[in-house]
Amino acid sequence: MSTRRPLAIFTNNPYEVFQRDVIQGVQDIAAQRGFTLSVVQVSAPPHRLDDLPLDWQRLAGALVVANCLPDDLLRALHAGGLPLSLISHQVPGAVIPGVMPNNRQGISVLMEHLVVACGCTRPVFIRGHMGQTDGIQREMAFRQEVMRYNLSVPPEHYLPGEFTPAIAAESITRFLQTRPDFDSVLAADYLMAEAAMRALQARGWRVPEDVAVVGFGDGPEAAQAGLTTVAADVVELGRRGARQLIGQIEGLRIRGLTLLSTELVERATTQPKRKTDVLSGT
Amino acid sequence: MKPLKATRENLRRHNRQLLLRAVYTGLADNRAALAQETGLAKPTVSDLIGELISEGLLVEGGLGESTESGGKRPTLIKFVPEARQVIGVSLDNGRAFGVLCNLAGQVVAQHMAELDGAQGDEALAILTDVMNGLIAQLDAPLLCIGVGVPGAVDTASGVILESYPLGWRRLALAERLSAHYEVPVYTGSSAELTALAQYAFGLNGDDQTRNLVTLLVTNSIEVGITLNGVTYHQGGDISALRAADRLDALLGWTAVQQRAADLRRQQPNSTLPETGLTYMHIHYSAINGDPAAQQLCEELAEHLAQVMGWIIGLLRPDHLSLVGPIVNLGEGFLQRVVAKTEAMLWPEVVRPVVFSLAYSGNLSAIGAAALALHRELDIL
Repeated sequence: MSTRRPLAIFTNNPYEVFQRDVIQGVQDIAAQRGFTLSVVQVSAPPHRLDDLPLDWQRLAGALVVANCLPDDLLRALHAGGLPLSLISHQVPGAVIPGVMPNNRQGISVLMEHLVVACGCTRPVFIRGHMGQTDGIQREMAFRQEVMRYNLSVPPEHYLPGEFTPAIAAESITRFLQTRPDFDSVLAADYLMAEAAMRALQARGWRVPEDVAVVGFGDGPEAAQAGLTTVAADVVELGRRGARQLIGQIEGLRIRGLTLLSTELVERATTQPKRKTDVLSGT
Repeated sequence: MKPLKATRENLRRHNRQLLLRAVYTGLADNRAALAQETGLAKPTVSDLIGELISEGLLVEGGLGESTESGGKRPTLIKFVPEARQVIGVSLDNGRAFGVLCNLAGQVVAQHMAELDGAQGDEALAILTDVMNGLIAQLDAPLLCIGVGVPGAVDTASGVILESYPLGWRRLALAERLSAHYEVPVYTGSSAELTALAQYAFGLNGDDQTRNLVTLLVTNSIEVGITLNGVTYHQGGDISALRAADRLDALLGWTAVQQRAADLRRQQPNSTLPETGLTYMHIHYSAINGDPAAQQLCEELAEHLAQVMGWIIGLLRPDHLSLVGPIVNLGEGFLQRVVAKTEAMLWPEVVRPVVFSLAYSGNLSAIGAAALALHRELDIL
């Protein structure tokens, strides 16, 4: 029987697709390395160490998914000597390591596919949660790519999504009522992209003939919907986070971010131009 | 007797590298063929192959074809890229960026931390913290480490002679890190490692380049050179060379930001942002007619043309590649630089040179891993 102190993973909702996959990856590595794992659901963010729903001093270390714990509390835990690894989150001014998908590279790959391969020039961006690092970084990367390709994307083409499919669908539905001029949708995650695609199709838009749709990240839902994405392996994100945490528990001092590469997964929601079209400039 | 022992060990190491390289490159895939290709005696080959198999670097798998004269079919030997891992870290462009690679040079993990102007021991601590981030991700034993540093580096001894951005002077970096991590550590200048990575992985398969010069522009200006496919280790930081001023006072990112602020003051309607400026902003504003951004691009092109003129005049490379965030100024900017270079030298001297922009932000880290792998196993 293991005498090691347990690991904990804090999340706002262990049943959401992203969190579920992260937890699976963490569990893989924890089991391999002989640690038990407690999954701690944080429904309302605590503000003091005493408010945490478990005794953190009995933990070997903890992983924290996105921004489910306030930054001040994370600083306090870190200062208290608890090894921490952050999944898709950063705390400004604190030397707490984390793991993240390479957001800049992923958005760059999606934009290259839309603009260069598919010839799209009028994209709409569905934003993530702007309190979360992934949301901020993906929008910043989108804006950089807009400049790279010298596109003109008006402010009304940036739609709220909050990493919530229902909000993304509602945003795109409202957007369509303005009779907009656009040829593509890039969503900050693939679940929002899928919801946007369904909303477009429900209003008679053909995907990809009338509008191309792409999203960040990948999963079975994206494959089933035929959605073009950049795959960021979320289970692997969890595995990397667990390794980083265990490395610290074993005495490694780590700072900075472990980055996961992303890869284009081309499916049916985009239609690259044929080579002859590209050569003739059509 | 010590020198004799050293010689025998060196010979054994050399022969192991010879065999590994022969299997890695596909030159030979069985013991008899290895003896024939390398000229080593069959017992030596068998002994060393046995050693490499027991270390997991090679594996036996299947039987090959028998020779024309018939006879026993040879046991095939394969290289195992996953048997060991290599770390490459580069300290340039304001950050420590590291990659964890397998023995075929494929990146399996990346880790980075901002340097935030750190110098001296603080910069060294960030470097080791980033290495630790990759060590936590190891899934095979660590073979060796490569480190790229902006500045003048004695690659043979692993001593950083001078790195102005990191505040390091006569720092025996390889020795210190090797003592800490207990594996061999190799060092090089960021630019030469960028050139090495580009030569090894970055050029198109049909590229005929033999002499490649990489111009790395970050907050410092560095030159990396591969001549006939071999890294020339005497390149490095040329920031202190002067054109109208020191090169880093003309082309370094701090200087570019200051110049952008000056031009914005002169052109109050400029669309260049006051905070968070990037090369992409400069590119976007310039192509959309912003006079301040256009003038800035023109000045940068002028300064870069001066540097490229020196490089082409002195080295006559086949290929000159611009690396660093400045590449976000785009192909149009590069063409402007080339035109200015042609106007400075004879066009016949400039025209045979291929100019390119290398967009990858992790070339020097990959080059650091490639250097370590090359020095340790003589592959890649």
